[in-house]
Amino acid sequence: MGIRFNQVSHGYTSFADGLYTAIKDISFEISDKNEFIALVGHTGSGKSTLAKHMNALIFPTSGTLEIFGKTITSKRDKKIKYNDIRKKVGLVFQFPEYQLFEETVEKDIMFGPMNFKISKEEAKALAKESLNLVGLDDSYLTRNPYNLSGGEKKRVSIAGILAMNPDILVLDEPTSGLDPAGRRVLMDLFKDIHDKTKKSVIIITHDMDLVYQYFNRVLVMNEGHLIFDGDPEKLFREKDLFKNHLDYPNTIKVLDYLNKSLGINLDIYKRTIEEALLEIKGAEKL
Amino acid sequence: MKSVIIGQYIPGKGLFYKLDPRTKIIAVFLLMVSVFLFERIEQLLIALGVATLLLLVGKINIIRVIKGLKPIMILLIFTFIFQIMLNKQGQKVVEHDMYFTLFTLLFLVIAFILWRVMVKITKFRFTFFFLFVISIYLTLRYVDYGQTIIQPFNFAIYEDGITMSIFVVIRLLIIITLSTVLTLTTKPTDLTQGLEKLMHPLKKIGFDSESFALIISISLRYIPTIFDEANKIMMAQASRGADFSEGKLKDKLRQVISLLVPMFIIAFIRSEELANAMESRNFVPGEPRTRIHELTMSYRDTLATLFSFSVLILSIVLKVI
Amino acid sequence: MSYIEIQKLSYSYNEKTNVLDDINIDIEKGEWIAVLGHNGSGKSTLAKTLVGLLEPKTGDITIDGITLGEETAYEIRKKIGIVFQNPDNQFVGVTVKDDIAFGMENLCVPREEMLEKINFYAKKVNMLDFLDKEPATLSGGQKQRVAIAGILAMQSDIIIFDEATSMLDPYSKEELIQYIKTLHKDGLTIIMITHDINEALLADRILVMNKGKVFAFQETEKIMKDKETFTSSNLELPVALELANSLAQDDKFKEIRDKLWEYALTK
Ligand SMILES: Nc1ncnc2c1ncn2[C@@H]1O[C@H](COP(=O)(O)OP(=O)(O)OP(=O)(O)O)[C@@H](O)[C@H]1O
Ligand SMILES: Nc1ncnc2c1ncn2[C@@H]1O[C@H](COP(=O)(O)OP(=O)(O)OP(=O)(O)O)[C@@H](O)[C@H]1O
Ligand SMILES: [Mg+2]
Ligand SMILES: [Mg+2]
Repeated sequence: MGIRFNQVSHGYTSFADGLYTAIKDISFEISDKNEFIALVGHTGSGKSTLAKHMNALIFPTSGTLEIFGKTITSKRDKKIKYNDIRKKVGLVFQFPEYQLFEETVEKDIMFGPMNFKISKEEAKALAKESLNLVGLDDSYLTRNPYNLSGGEKKRVSIAGILAMNPDILVLDEPTSGLDPAGRRVLMDLFKDIHDKTKKSVIIITHDMDLVYQYFNRVLVMNEGHLIFDGDPEKLFREKDLFKNHLDYPNTIKVLDYLNKSLGINLDIYKRTIEEALLEIKGAEKL
Repeated sequence: MKSVIIGQYIPGKGLFYKLDPRTKIIAVFLLMVSVFLFERIEQLLIALGVATLLLLVGKINIIRVIKGLKPIMILLIFTFIFQIMLNKQGQKVVEHDMYFTLFTLLFLVIAFILWRVMVKITKFRFTFFFLFVISIYLTLRYVDYGQTIIQPFNFAIYEDGITMSIFVVIRLLIIITLSTVLTLTTKPTDLTQGLEKLMHPLKKIGFDSESFALIISISLRYIPTIFDEANKIMMAQASRGADFSEGKLKDKLRQVISLLVPMFIIAFIRSEELANAMESRNFVPGEPRTRIHELTMSYRDTLATLFSFSVLILSIVLKVI
Repeated sequence: MSYIEIQKLSYSYNEKTNVLDDINIDIEKGEWIAVLGHNGSGKSTLAKTLVGLLEPKTGDITIDGITLGEETAYEIRKKIGIVFQNPDNQFVGVTVKDDIAFGMENLCVPREEMLEKINFYAKKVNMLDFLDKEPATLSGGQKQRVAIAGILAMQSDIIIFDEATSMLDPYSKEELIQYIKTLHKDGLTIIMITHDINEALLADRILVMNKGKVFAFQETEKIMKDKETFTSSNLELPVALELANSLAQDDKFKEIRDKLWEYALTK
């Protein structure tokens, strides 16, 4: 078993405005193998809060959480090696600025691997490899991560986690700020890692096209509650997704528009442009 | 970290929240001056009583203030000890030799270990610190057998030493309480605006009160940010397998260093970004601006000012006679 | 003379490579311009030079007849607001409320009016319940909303959005776009940097940046017909147009093609 949430709630306390419960009574399970999960939900619904629990970066204020057999409660447990959990579950933050801190890109990517007892040479090689995977060339190795463009920072922050080679990958909006080609390349990369190693991957996103095309399980958060856990297609067959602040994928919207405006009867539930194309071509012959 | 309430604003209701920041700044200033004018310990004790009464009237959670004082307790204790040791006037109260032998050392080590262990397993950190200090004293005084490391030395406490140290500590306590009440009940933005308004007359002699207030408000704005920044980096490091609270002391030290360097760099970058953000939103230093927070005085302010003035006058009168 | 004129503009961070290279563009008053381009193509750098935060290596920027320079920067910033790519870089205030107020305070908006506007714009971006929160405790999308509200409240003539909606959920994004549309109708000039092609479709003209150069700058409908421009700049066409292009060879799909175009340009 990978990660299991048992009735987890998390409340943030601050002097300024007391207690704010960001996630409420969440229970679900993520297997350590073969999962490719999308996590969606409106702004402020608690996605990032949920993600930070997955590698014990924050603790539940009530309920418990099991990560690779270790039980996480509201208190720090001296017997648990949290560093081990972080090695097993890699988390990419929503804002790359929150993750980058070293003076050069190379050092930053090496930081993770170096904490897990590998030689400097190996770490360097890993840094280079991961950087190339996210679509940046070697010339970036010596750059200061703070002097990069938004999308470049995002890529470096992802490379830093990939270099740690975790067993479960959690990515908080990894594709926001990426150009369309980069978005494609990275989603294919995550999928590829998943296909080759069977590792579980959890990705937070607002992009319904990606949810439909890539994922076989989607979790929907709404005002701190987990309100849906299942097949994306089932979600998109629901009416009125807007009330949960979601939307339909573009293929569905476009095909639906064709149906309505031309009075034809296409099957609108097509994941990709290719599938949609086949549907249109096929239907026209009828 | 969260128990440090010095300099923290906590929203609430009650008298002190309703006062104008200018009133509060003036009152705190006047009261502090008076506290320095008091010469007798009785006067100070009364002042401390009045300060506590004020907290009650203002519906401020005293426990919270005391908790907030904890971090500076150590400072208070050191002040206390120094005063006692340095002041050699008046009658001798205690006098005896102090010894430092091999056994003393042994006892001290044991006391130290006991203290650290107790601090870890119980909640009464402060009590045990206190006990630790006392046990140092007792060991130095009574453990005289074993090989001498340092020659015995004379130790004496004088009457004035005791009164002076109590005096100084109470004075410090009052001053800290006063300023805590100020920051506890005044939003940082109001505080700076109050300061700015108060210093406005100084403009005539070429003092740029607005820039000064701005510098203060930016520092206030950035103290939490720097904590945040440190927090963020610690989170970033933790999530990549370098959790501060795990590992040996050596690793921890290495991590502290790995935290400091980026903190400075990031703080530097942040300040540049902040300047950009302000500029791009039309901020021009020295130009007139309107304010979202408006300061208004009421009868309460008059009363509070009158009160602090009378305390000041009283203290002057007491000093003169 | 155009409203915004950029002539022979170059910029470089390190004197070696030009991050902006010989940019020449004109933008008319009331236009909506979308800026697309690969990561690192120079979009944010262009935005920062436009508001005078970065000083061009060569070239001139003229806005509403005023040429941007050290002395005129203040004058020009009264006309132009910018929402930064990273909302954290934008927060000046201690609370959400103070932050939205900051720009207005500098413009000497009277207090009563300010309070009204804070409520109005906080409501527009759905942050009314969060006015007393500290920016650091907000979620990603909430931060973006506050950053947007702070700029909208200044009611500048021109607003640059640098990927300002990248972390909003589809619904909030749609709501906000609808509002920006009404502002555009009332004459706001918009420069919207984005990676979301559907968002770009709303613009009058699209500027495609590539390695620091202007790769294309044309009317939206026109540029959409040119698949080459898109694929060679790391971009993708909207789904409807991708479909329309794939159906291009066959005449029997003409009706569908027209509908797909209609969808792309009106939805
Ligand atoms: N440190 C904090 N202190 C107080 N409240 C917080 C803190 N962090 C987050 N919150 C609140 O908790 C709620 C959930 O935040 P979270 O970051 O998990 O949302 P999210 O689903 O990731 O949103 P987004 O899509 O905008 O990133 C928000 O309403 C936010 O204001
Ligand atoms: N402060 C800086 N110092 C040095 N180089 C920089 C700095 N900021 C950006 N660059 C470089 O300038 C180039 C253009 O950056 P810019 O931020 O303008 O890109 P962008 O088009 O906004 O990209 P993105 O879509 O990723 O936000 C990039 O190659 C980047 O690495
Ligand atoms: Mg988030
Ligand atoms: Mg950018």
